[in-house]
Amino acid sequence: MSYVLAAYVVTLATLFGYALRLASEARALREEISRPRPNGG
Amino acid sequence: MQRWKQGTSAALVGLGAWWAWAVWHAPLDAVQGVIQKILYVHPPLAFAAYAGFIGAALAGGLFLVRGNERFDRFAAASAEVGVVFCTLMLITGPIWAKGTWGKWWTWDPRLTVTLLLYLAYVAYLLLRSFTEGSERAARFAAVYGILGAALIPLNYYAIELFGSRALHPDNLERGSLGEGMGLPFALGVFATLAAFAFLLVRRFELGELRAARAEQLARVAQREGA
Repeated sequence: MSYVLAAYVVTLATLFGYALRLASEARALREEISRPRPNGG
Repeated sequence: MQRWKQGTSAALVGLGAWWAWAVWHAPLDAVQGVIQKILYVHPPLAFAAYAGFIGAALAGGLFLVRGNERFDRFAAASAEVGVVFCTLMLITGPIWAKGTWGKWWTWDPRLTVTLLLYLAYVAYLLLRSFTEGSERAARFAAVYGILGAALIPLNYYAIELFGSRALHPDNLERGSLGEGMGLPFALGVFATLAAFAFLLVRRFELGELRAARAEQLARVAQREGA
């Protein structure tokens, strides 16, 4: 049973972690892109 | 857009919960016992990895034909998501092997070709990370991605090709699953491919944002240099 649980937990945790990493980097980039610049860039 | 993302995330969680319920209630295999329940996650991960690598090859081909950089960014996204699923396939497989064969790894033809396929696409991602933004590297990566996809049929048919030397079980066919095992397996395939599609869209969006940011920085540098 522990092998089965390990397989499912590793899979779900990895996919969830990867989704969070993508969302976090995308959020940071959106903020950087939309931030007004003093020189108008 | 935000509402669409929340909707798809909620649908994925619901689908995952339904899958977990079906796996929990699936009958125990008479030969392998509970360890056989890894069947509902391991092959679906392989299908998603294949989808990622095929997506990279197709988008790479379109980039070579049309020259549109968005196809190149899609190819990079598809390969990366494919590698994530392939990594998980290479983790869940040995867990299942340890429970049934008593060892984590064996140089069985299917396992060996899977490792080759994985390393080929890890090398693809490394190549891309070292040469980001180069048109020539993008063209090389597109050709590499197309050639790498040739390993997929070899991987899928490895058991048939190498016959008696294969330890890995045969590919699933219609009717090869026991009673009550079809629903959890189908849900596993559906949920995994839905998660793959969701992550691919997110990763492609991230690539677009990185490109937009790089363009913005280049414009600023140009203005400051002028």
